[in-house]
Amino acid sequence: MEDRLSIMIVDDEMIVRESFRYWFEKSGHRVDTAASGNEALEKIQGVAFDLLFVDIKMPGMSGIELLGIVKSEYPETMVIIITAFGSIESAVKAMKLGAADYLLKPFKPEHLSLVMEKVVQQRRLDSENRYLKGRLDRITRFENIIGQSEPMEVIFQMIPEIAADEASVLLSGETGTGKELIAKAIHAKSPRANKPFIAINCGAIPDSLLESELFGHQRGAFTGAHRTRKGYLEAVSGGTLFLDEVGEISFKMQVDLLRVLEEKKICRVGESRPMDVDFRLIAATSRNLEKQISRGTFREDFFYRINVISLTIPPLRERREDIPLLVDHFLEKFSNETTKHVDRATPDALALLGRYEWPGNVRELENAVERAVVLSRGRTLDVSDFAFLQTGTAGEGEARSLIEAETNHIRKILRECDGNVTHAAAVLKINRVTLHKKIKRYGLREGAGKKEKPET
Amino acid sequence: MAKSTGGRDGIAVMPVGEVPELAVKIVATHVAEAFQVPADVLPACELPRESLDARRLQYDAGRILGALERRAFAGYRKVVAVFSVDLFIPIFTHVFGEARQGGRIALVSLARLVRNVDGSVPSPAVGWTRAAKVALHEVGHLFDLPHCQDERCLMHFSGGVDDLDQTPLQFCRYCALILHDALSAPPAVSGRTEPAPDGP
Repeated sequence: MEDRLSIMIVDDEMIVRESFRYWFEKSGHRVDTAASGNEALEKIQGVAFDLLFVDIKMPGMSGIELLGIVKSEYPETMVIIITAFGSIESAVKAMKLGAADYLLKPFKPEHLSLVMEKVVQQRRLDSENRYLKGRLDRITRFENIIGQSEPMEVIFQMIPEIAADEASVLLSGETGTGKELIAKAIHAKSPRANKPFIAINCGAIPDSLLESELFGHQRGAFTGAHRTRKGYLEAVSGGTLFLDEVGEISFKMQVDLLRVLEEKKICRVGESRPMDVDFRLIAATSRNLEKQISRGTFREDFFYRINVISLTIPPLRERREDIPLLVDHFLEKFSNETTKHVDRATPDALALLGRYEWPGNVRELENAVERAVVLSRGRTLDVSDFAFLQTGTAGEGEARSLIEAETNHIRKILRECDGNVTHAAAVLKINRVTLHKKIKRYGLREGAGKKEKPET
Repeated sequence: MAKSTGGRDGIAVMPVGEVPELAVKIVATHVAEAFQVPADVLPACELPRESLDARRLQYDAGRILGALERRAFAGYRKVVAVFSVDLFIPIFTHVFGEARQGGRIALVSLARLVRNVDGSVPSPAVGWTRAAKVALHEVGHLFDLPHCQDERCLMHFSGGVDDLDQTPLQFCRYCALILHDALSAPPAVSGRTEPAPDGP
């Protein structure tokens, strides 16, 4: 017997209860009986049943009353109504109250067999649904957001509340704190979960291209537009648009986006006919947008439009108690992704990681664990495996590799430029987009090395 | 062939009321073959009149089981009672056979086995084969075998004679294994020391 059910027979006639019991025991089911509705309810309070067979006519509580109570308090329990005095009225009432079936006594043995097949099939589907829903929850919601510190608990509590709303969200936090993961979790919990989630890093796309990426373009709208292309605002239809580093958007683009948010209409580049769009905006920034407003580099009206709900993601140094959990998570991840079987870090190593400032936040920690795993010779990471973190508090000691030298140099210039990426890119004589990519790759933050909060 | 052993640990096959002798012998032969134990055909006993339900005009299988379980059947591990009359249990319109899980008595009713679904009468061989299948299925329950999901197994539940005709006369490998273990175990009770009764 593969599908063993827990069944209760509720009937005031002992002979009926016993007939059912003998029959179901032959199929390997667990069977209990009750002579009245009240006795059945008492038993259900103590033990969960998959299936109830309930007679309609019983002294005291009727079978229909019992059905109503069971379906409202224990909706997962299936109920089959049995009666020797069938009527269309009672059958309709039973089905409306959620009965799985309605049988007239006596019934053919093959009929009961078919009903049981249906019940077993339904239980399997319910069980599969629960399993898959659980998996989906784990995969898309909080699995990748690790933390049990107080600031993270607050965020976990807020995500479902924010998700249920339609208002725009502004996520603030340093680079590498996991703003995109939070945005994905909000999307996954929202009614838009089965629609697209599109993430755009505004800092990584040159301004000239961003307009076409967001709004799409008509064929021939500009040199190189060989065919008509849908923009992200169109493609995201019904879903969530995540604009990362929204503080990098040009003044003109802020005006264009403000209009889209207010009118819910867009025009492709090179086309004058507007079309309706439906999306929820989640924006993120590692900059202080209010300071940008006071400097006149960010539009106040656009800020208030995107900042309806505000959520600040704490930097890793403000939730150091999460570091051991995060290390475990990354060790598991990299052990699965690589052939290395490194599954723990010594207390000394964890203490070192706990003291470090983590200017690049969780992303920097992830990179550090990955590097330590790749270079490790044992299955345990020790302090020596994180020696590269000990070259100065912010990792700016003598560089041993080109990457370390580059990382240190970028961090230094960013500090000199007060965390301003555009200025730092000019000093480094590289494109701003390229600098953004390097900051992300090396787990740096714009204000790396600064004592006060980054970006002004 | 059924052997008359009168010895212990065998299975008794007993006609109750007027039952064709050949049907009983065929059931006994199959029981002996399938369970590899001696199967004795006992003298017929009378139908227990008190088990007749006057409203349904059928015999109550539960009451019959109760009556037979109170009898000794000394020397026999299990008993198969064969009927020509129609049997029922309160929740069902009819049953082809009845036995309690791990019990000692199995019932087989020929009443609906010797008729096809469309009301026609099959050859006696078809009816007796159906009876043998029901008997083996019910004795399987006596040895604690539950219903099996394998449609090619005798322990698969057959609701109608059509289903029964599709079921082969053998247990699946899994059920055969459980049965082998059950048959190897020493019998818990092999009957009281009283003489065999002459009726339920």
